[in-house]
Amino acid sequence: MSSIKRYQNPEIFEQLAMEYAVGGLHGRAKKRFETLMETHFYLKATVEAYEYKFAHLVELLPDEKPSDQLWENINAQIKIDAQPAEVKITSWWHSLFNTKVYGLVASALIISAILLFNPMTGSPIAYTAVLESSTTHTAMAVTRISQADMQLSIDMMKHPDIPDNMELHLWCHPKDGGKPVMMGAIAKSGETIIHIDKAEWRSFKNVGLLAVSIEPKGKQSSDGPRGEVLLEGQLSSIHET
Amino acid sequence: MEDKYADLLQRCAASRDQIAFKQLYEETSPKLLSLCMRLLQNKQLAEDVLQEGFIKIWEKADTYAPEKGKAMTWMATVVRNKALDKLRSLKTKAAETEIQYEGLEFASTDLAPDSLENLSQDMKGLMDCLNKLKPAQRECILLSYYYGHTHQELSDRLEKPLGTVKAWIRRGLEDLRPCLA
Repeated sequence: MSSIKRYQNPEIFEQLAMEYAVGGLHGRAKKRFETLMETHFYLKATVEAYEYKFAHLVELLPDEKPSDQLWENINAQIKIDAQPAEVKITSWWHSLFNTKVYGLVASALIISAILLFNPMTGSPIAYTAVLESSTTHTAMAVTRISQADMQLSIDMMKHPDIPDNMELHLWCHPKDGGKPVMMGAIAKSGETIIHIDKAEWRSFKNVGLLAVSIEPKGKQSSDGPRGEVLLEGQLSSIHET
Repeated sequence: MEDKYADLLQRCAASRDQIAFKQLYEETSPKLLSLCMRLLQNKQLAEDVLQEGFIKIWEKADTYAPEKGKAMTWMATVVRNKALDKLRSLKTKAAETEIQYEGLEFASTDLAPDSLENLSQDMKGLMDCLNKLKPAQRECILLSYYYGHTHQELSDRLEKPLGTVKAWIRRGLEDLRPCLA
């Protein structure tokens, strides 16, 4: 019997699901079962149901008091997570140079004000970031990611001076400091639209920083920016109020 | 029955309520740390895993589905899976142990009446089912859950052949299934 046919037999898969949930599957058997769970919903659902049943066993355990430091560590981390990103205004306010820039930056400030003065409720409906020059701290682009139209738009307000054989790449840096994810190449001027799927939309809640780097044309790095990072900005979430 | 922890989790998910999260932490962390310490046998590792677990609980609070089970069971599953991942990643598990939790006294078949009073109906039902198993089957299943022992580790610990231990677990789970349905 092939392995998947074997797991389609309710008697067998339920027994294996119980064994997995109780912690009795190990090594290759466990890895094989986890691989199957990723693609077969019924296996995952059965395991989950038994995990929940066995989890009541925790009630029998004697209490163990955690150290005070543990809550401090957790609290520090969730405060970082929950705090809306602040938009720096002092360094680049004087550099506003035309009505378009003023309009875009004003929009970003209004969004930031909404974030600061309204409690966040429910899931985000959009994200926004003002990207500043990493060296001069002047505002150079505004990014908006919207669930309504499932797209990321980045509007370059200033035209960066980069060689013809180079292009700009947009990166998402996870809040937890993991590997950045490249969203795509963007135009040096005007607006670039990048369409996103549901999984990408969901993943934005884990993104802390957006960055734009200068990279050789047509070359994509999966490890993170290799060229100079030109722009950076904290991503803020927008919630329905 | 009302699930107090579900309400707190709901507040964490809906309004990122840090006060609710702190209350949730204060009330549930002692049991969850106890579980981590048994699985990892090292307090520092156990606290590290518990920290990761609570961050995940905070971040994923909106994925908790009350219709699937109590909030505490969801949280215990999140934390236990983190601990099992850590356990699996530790190649030198035996050398790093420091606590040596071993027994199952806390899960005795004849718990004192005041201990029984504090248990949920679901736990009492699970306990009834487990108490119907043969002692060796029950012991192997509980040692697997609380300590994350492999079949080989159970065989070594109980000084029984590997095949016997595997059969105890397999038959124990077979007997448990109709009772848990």
